[in-house]
Amino acid sequence: MSQLDHNKDNQLADFADKAMQGKLNNPASSSDAELVRLEETILRLKNTLPSKAPDAATSKQMLVRLKARIKREESEKIPFWKKLFNFQSNPQVGMILAVAMILIIAVITVPSLELGGGAVTGTASNTTNLLIGGGLIGILVLIYWISRRK
Amino acid sequence: MATTKYMENTSNPLNTEASDETLIGQFKAGNTEAFDFLYHRHLPSVYKRVRYVVPENDVEDVTQEIFIAAIKSLPSFRGDSQFSTWLRTLTNHKVAEFYRRRTRKQEPMLAPLSDANAKIIGNTSKSMEERVYLQRALHELPENYREVLLLRFTEDLQFNEIADLTNQNLEATKSLFRRAVAALRAHLDK
Repeated sequence: MSQLDHNKDNQLADFADKAMQGKLNNPASSSDAELVRLEETILRLKNTLPSKAPDAATSKQMLVRLKARIKREESEKIPFWKKLFNFQSNPQVGMILAVAMILIIAVITVPSLELGGGAVTGTASNTTNLLIGGGLIGILVLIYWISRRK
Repeated sequence: MATTKYMENTSNPLNTEASDETLIGQFKAGNTEAFDFLYHRHLPSVYKRVRYVVPENDVEDVTQEIFIAAIKSLPSFRGDSQFSTWLRTLTNHKVAEFYRRRTRKQEPMLAPLSDANAKIIGNTSKSMEERVYLQRALHELPENYREVLLLRFTEDLQFNEIADLTNQNLEATKSLFRRAVAALRAHLDK
């Protein structure tokens, strides 16, 4: 880093210190356009964004409201499974279920698309696949239906 | 659960001068009043930081979420870092979560400006707009830039204190500060 940059770092830091103490309300480095712009930005931050802490009374009120919120949330606790299957706040779960459904449908349909050479078209394994797949889809639909209930 | 435990009142006498570590130990031991002391001690820094970066209407809500998360996580707090540092990290996570939630709900660039319409006593709509504008620019800064500005302006830490906290030397901290202000200015000029 050059000496010039180093000096600018120090000047700006000093300016920020003085501005925070309320000693400066205007840019101090009139000779350096870049520093003036940075000092203006510091003043803008200091004058615009709030930096006051809440007073004692407000702090107490906030603690009361915090406790009320905790109490409310404790009494309105949502069961874990209901939170998990809340697709509005948990879109990933919805996506996983959709992918699972597609996979199940694929598992069911792929064997029936095979070009088998057997004489019997409806084999036992196909029927079993259909039953398993149907059962799984039924379970997924049931989970979805339960999660939609209020 | 930690929050349930917090609501059950036990009232052992507490020393208001007790250190954070002592209060945390007492809270873990079941003295929920210890958390009230921690709350009052650390609310000012948490609140100022949140108020600096979050729209006014959401400040208390986000602050509450930070302390609820603290109550839930305190039982597993091991004291590897200072409580204030731990709480600062938690605050940053919750603010980031707030903005993520907001982004999911509505168009991110338009969302904060809508808050400029909020009626807040003592604030003109122009100053509110400026505030939202600055908050948005701060939010868009890289994390290390935003952090050095927040440490200096919301916690009023001196540069040597920031250097200690961030494990940097004083020169590097001042340099980071200047680059952060320059980046903020660039965002504001866009």
